[in-house]
Amino acid sequence: MAVPVTVPERPARRVSSRHFVRLKLRVLGNNFRGQKWRIALFVLGLLLGLWFAAVGFFLLATPGLADEPRYALMVAAFGGGLLTLGWLLLPLVFFGVDETLDPARFALLPLSRRTLVTGLLAAALVSVPALATALTAAGLVVSAGLLGGWSAAVVGALGVVAGLLVCLAGARALTSAFATMLRSRRVRDLAAVLLAVLAALLGPLQLLVLAAVQQTDWDRLDGVARVVGWTPFGAPWTVGVDVAEGRPGAAVAKLLIAVATLGVLLFWWSRSLESAMVGAASAGPSRAPRGVAGGAVTQLFPRAVGWARRDRFGALVARECRYWWRDARRRANLITVAVVGVFVPVMVNLGGVSFSTEGGAEFGGGDSSPALVSLSMIFVGVLASLTLANQFGFDGSSYAANLVAGVPGRVELRARMTAFSIYVVPMLVVIAVALALFLGRPAWLGVMGGALAAAYGCGLAINGFVSVLGAYSLPESSNPFAMNSGAGFTKGLLTLVSMVASAVVAVPFVVAAALLGDVWLWLALPIGLAYGVGAALLGAYLAGDTLDRRQPELLATVTPRR
Amino acid sequence: MTDQHPALSLRGLAKRFDTKIAVAGVDLAVPTGSFYGLLGPNGAGKTTTLSMAVGLLRPDAGEARVLGYDVWADPVRAKSLLGVMPDGVRLFDRLSGAELLAYHGLLRGMDPAVVDQRAAELLDVLALSDAGRTLVVDYSAGMKKKIGLACALLHGPRLLVLDEPFEAVDPVSAALIRDILHRYVSGGGTVIFSSHVMEVVERLCSHVAILAEGRIKRVGTLTEVRGDRSLEDVFVEVVGGRTATGEELSWLSR
Repeated sequence: MAVPVTVPERPARRVSSRHFVRLKLRVLGNNFRGQKWRIALFVLGLLLGLWFAAVGFFLLATPGLADEPRYALMVAAFGGGLLTLGWLLLPLVFFGVDETLDPARFALLPLSRRTLVTGLLAAALVSVPALATALTAAGLVVSAGLLGGWSAAVVGALGVVAGLLVCLAGARALTSAFATMLRSRRVRDLAAVLLAVLAALLGPLQLLVLAAVQQTDWDRLDGVARVVGWTPFGAPWTVGVDVAEGRPGAAVAKLLIAVATLGVLLFWWSRSLESAMVGAASAGPSRAPRGVAGGAVTQLFPRAVGWARRDRFGALVARECRYWWRDARRRANLITVAVVGVFVPVMVNLGGVSFSTEGGAEFGGGDSSPALVSLSMIFVGVLASLTLANQFGFDGSSYAANLVAGVPGRVELRARMTAFSIYVVPMLVVIAVALALFLGRPAWLGVMGGALAAAYGCGLAINGFVSVLGAYSLPESSNPFAMNSGAGFTKGLLTLVSMVASAVVAVPFVVAAALLGDVWLWLALPIGLAYGVGAALLGAYLAGDTLDRRQPELLATVTPRR
Repeated sequence: MTDQHPALSLRGLAKRFDTKIAVAGVDLAVPTGSFYGLLGPNGAGKTTTLSMAVGLLRPDAGEARVLGYDVWADPVRAKSLLGVMPDGVRLFDRLSGAELLAYHGLLRGMDPAVVDQRAAELLDVLALSDAGRTLVVDYSAGMKKKIGLACALLHGPRLLVLDEPFEAVDPVSAALIRDILHRYVSGGGTVIFSSHVMEVVERLCSHVAILAEGRIKRVGTLTEVRGDRSLEDVFVEVVGGRTATGEELSWLSR
């Protein structure tokens, strides 16, 4: 008997969060199928997560274990606050969010916004970082339990759950809001600035932590902890301590704060989720100015690359330059480099200064030294070059065009390094000059420039290899923060390997700065430049050879699986 | 010497993905000047075969030669004679149409002046010049196919390998692409393209090969393969499909 399509025989079963969690587990499982190295990487990532979680657990449980109720509130407020802040900022700046379940895939299903958001949130709980955070925060529960008995432990556990949910929802809401902004052609530059400001928060945060470590005035810190405990950052984490110290009213109020925060974040997330779901289908037409000047070749070359010959190398450089700006994912990376590149050296070199004047005599004079400056410059140079560690992953399957045209690996890598340097080298120069002036040591400019050039060049060389041998695919999503499931740890591992390798190659510059004294102030720049350029060229030469031998394999690894 | 060789010759090409055998030994000789259609159902291994033939995917066994030059041993010579439009592969789509053509041209080592002139002509003929500086990512599906074809044609290849050139293309654009390909073949070029649209293949091709389950099932000139039946009948018989009886899916009818 024929039954009308529009009237189902019985009411459809309700979709609950359980389905999302199972879907996520299934997708994760299928990702591992037949890919032994992925399983190995996942297990490694899990172990690393557990290790950090164990360390965090004991740190947070210390007040309870050592029976030191004096520090309980401080540890809970600062530890929990740091966790929350990390969840908010790190995905934006470094890691991206796991988009195993891409919201856009649900656009056609008849799901209410509420179901979708709670489901995705539940699915987000199934991840190594969430697990590690939960374990870490369990330290707070133990601590509260030891100090205040069962009631404190139970309330503390409630708080930890709320806190974890706030972390997850916050990370999602923030990244998806920024993704929406970066997609829109109108406000994306504003988004870039906002992102920079957010990342800049990392700086003051570091100052605060340093202050906490150095300050012996516990009472003042205690006051700060109390205030932090009443903000959404600290509220959910401190309820256990409040009960233990006999303030049940405060605990209830803080739980309410946490729940309200969660509600606001989820509402915000669901709003931007909707626009992401629709936006994925159509990003809207771009502006199409009428007057097209010059021929096709003239149009391809941006003004900054006007000097390049109109040949294969020039074309590659020009296309890469266009891509670093037009591709939201690449642009987000550039912005990160700029922001972190400015703040880390300022913190490292000025941190000492501000504390020596304010906090005490512990940092003898607190002044920076040529060796310290070299070290921070090496960090900046390595960090900048790190952006290229998955340069072929940015291209995805489009890399096929270069393969079909038979571009030699050496030309390819040299062109990519050149194009990236067109953006980054001016930035690095500005950073070095600004820092030298800031420190009031213009004479150090040579040392800084030398270390920077050497580290950046070595980094380019190392990352040439990493990008050829350790490439991984990025999802074809319009969210520049999206990561494939399982890729997070690969990324982390490769980042670590390439940073360590690059830093090791550049370390002679720190040694020279420390040992050679004033002579080095003059020698550093020319030697550093030669060292860096030489390393980069050698890297392109050797890695290019490797690339020639495995171009099709590289294409296969960067092509997203669908 | 290249004229004595077939435009494309594949010998024993095979590829296995994990446990699944995608292509199980394909032999094919595409004569110079032919318009060759590679037919097959979804998942038959068309894309895999063509990817191995043009150097995008390393075969487990077998060899591919373009006008006598081995694609895997002498890629530079082989690739310079090839124009390729892959399917399911993104273009560098954050460039505008003109920029993309310039990129491809220079990548092929062409003279900038020639690139400019040909790019303008191609954009004109393919009705893409109106798009101006619109990025290719914002093009419609049909426009993307057309710009992909333009990229493959730009350097004047001897052999054109097209994967699903008529998929997602509206009739007007399809007619335009057909005309261009016709002119290319009558000018001495060779085309091999994959498709599962019988009507297009019957209208265009001089030669046909039917690929199913990773093997060539039928091969020859169109008349040899077709005989006195329609190509669709031959295809369905070779591939072995099933027809709906009307009993299942009864809930679809009101």
